[in-house]
Amino acid sequence: MTTLLKIQNLKKQFGGLTAVNDVSFSVAEGETVALLGPNGSGKTTVINMISGAFAPTSGRIVLAGENIAGLAPNRIAHKGIARTFQLVRILPSLSVAENVMAALAFRPNHLWGTEARDRAEHLLLEVGLGGRGHEHANDLTYIDQKRMELARALAAEPRLLLLDEWLSGLNPTELGVGIDLITSLGQRGMTILLVEHIMEAVRALCSRAVVMNVGTKIADGPTADVLADPAVIVAYLGDGHA
Amino acid sequence: MTRTILGFALVALGLAALAWLPTQVGAYGVGLLLGMTGYVVLASAWALFSGPTRYVSLATVAFFGIGAYTVAVLSETLPYWAVLLVAAGIGLAVALVVGLATLRLAGVYFVIFTFGLAELIRQLVTWYEVNVTGTLGRYIFLPISPEQIYWQLLALAALTIGIGWLIARSRLGLALKVIGDDETVAAHTGIDISGVKLALFAVSATIITLVGAIQAPRWTYVEPSIVFNPTISFLTLIMALLGGANRLWGPALGAIPLFLLFEWLSANFPSHYSIILGLMFIAIVFVVPRGVLAGVEDLWKRLRRKGEAA
Repeated sequence: MTTLLKIQNLKKQFGGLTAVNDVSFSVAEGETVALLGPNGSGKTTVINMISGAFAPTSGRIVLAGENIAGLAPNRIAHKGIARTFQLVRILPSLSVAENVMAALAFRPNHLWGTEARDRAEHLLLEVGLGGRGHEHANDLTYIDQKRMELARALAAEPRLLLLDEWLSGLNPTELGVGIDLITSLGQRGMTILLVEHIMEAVRALCSRAVVMNVGTKIADGPTADVLADPAVIVAYLGDGHA
Repeated sequence: MTRTILGFALVALGLAALAWLPTQVGAYGVGLLLGMTGYVVLASAWALFSGPTRYVSLATVAFFGIGAYTVAVLSETLPYWAVLLVAAGIGLAVALVVGLATLRLAGVYFVIFTFGLAELIRQLVTWYEVNVTGTLGRYIFLPISPEQIYWQLLALAALTIGIGWLIARSRLGLALKVIGDDETVAAHTGIDISGVKLALFAVSATIITLVGAIQAPRWTYVEPSIVFNPTISFLTLIMALLGGANRLWGPALGAIPLFLLFEWLSANFPSHYSIILGLMFIAIVFVVPRGVLAGVEDLWKRLRRKGEAA
């Protein structure tokens, strides 16, 4: 498998605090990889650096052979990385369809007018919001807002999709639907890097997992092995459980 | 589609009527129409940038003055149409430089910078005139009648509102809505936020420069304290806010009554005029922060909901 994303010695300091320290890992084309770790371990900071929200203090982020570390988020989006946010971010004054069209209209091979409208409708159907494009984004329920956010990310036709706790806050039925949705994306060859706390989802979705703790990488390998690793259990649950 | 055509027909009819008006109203009337149309353009152009981005600019008079001064300096060496082109070019160039330097400033810093910019340009022009040319004022002798100035401003008003209409239907318009809702999402969906803001600032500033250039022949005599008068920036701002800076017709609707009111106030209460201006400023920000049009829309929605509930 060819490597799509290669993170090399990534480091981020906020003043005196080192949030991410010398982290390296890679994601192969078509792979679904989990980025795990307890709260505050630096997972979202890594996602934020990959998507360009923060510039790394040092290190390289190589996407298909090109170092994209420190580029502005709009340039990184144009390189083929799309993301969802830990706390769902909708565009409240726009309709559901317009939320998706926003991504269609500003991707490199942009769509506009009827083409964009049709494509948005198709993407909404894919995430389970078929026929609801005219509704106000603000009126959607939480799960539907998450679906819409996913449709917006997919609209960019990304080479790499970053999902930051996309499954959190869903009830058990919704969780099943969400896992199926991401599984189907993976089956279509989408490369996905996801931050997740729900282990059931990680086991179902990810062939590989990378685990972080206090800013450093402590494990990297097949999901089942990583989750059985004593160091990982200690990081999550404390010394008494190892 | 038919509604759009109907709308265009109405606007064209309105424009024709407005263009015909000077033949009916006499010299004083033409003067009023001219001033009013000038402010309709200023407020509409100001709102093109400041409405969607919510960056409050007090640089209006900087560009207005640049336009007027360009005409004062060049009107005897270049044909009139070329002077207008040069003025627009200078306004555009200054806007691009200023925009690149300042659009990263947020909120109140941008307001202060733009206010400072207008003062800086006024002082620079004053210094240059006193030290280099040796005079302060300049005369403009151009054979352009008030009616002709009015028609030019009317055309510019139509152009400005037309640009606003086009932007609202374009990708740029969608980019503005997305930026207005959430800049983080905007950046991550591939929108070049600084580029969008810079483009709008440049368009708005170029139009404002042209207003100054077109109105210049009206004064005959110009000096920095006249064409760089900060009151012009404040008036433009409260006119746009009164009507609603996020509505196509909002700034125009705010400009007309306020211009007439200020004309009357400055004629009848010349010494208390600025106090009243300040009070009105405060009142508008407190009572209709999103503009009268948005206020009316909210009221209408509430009434309809009540009607449905009953």
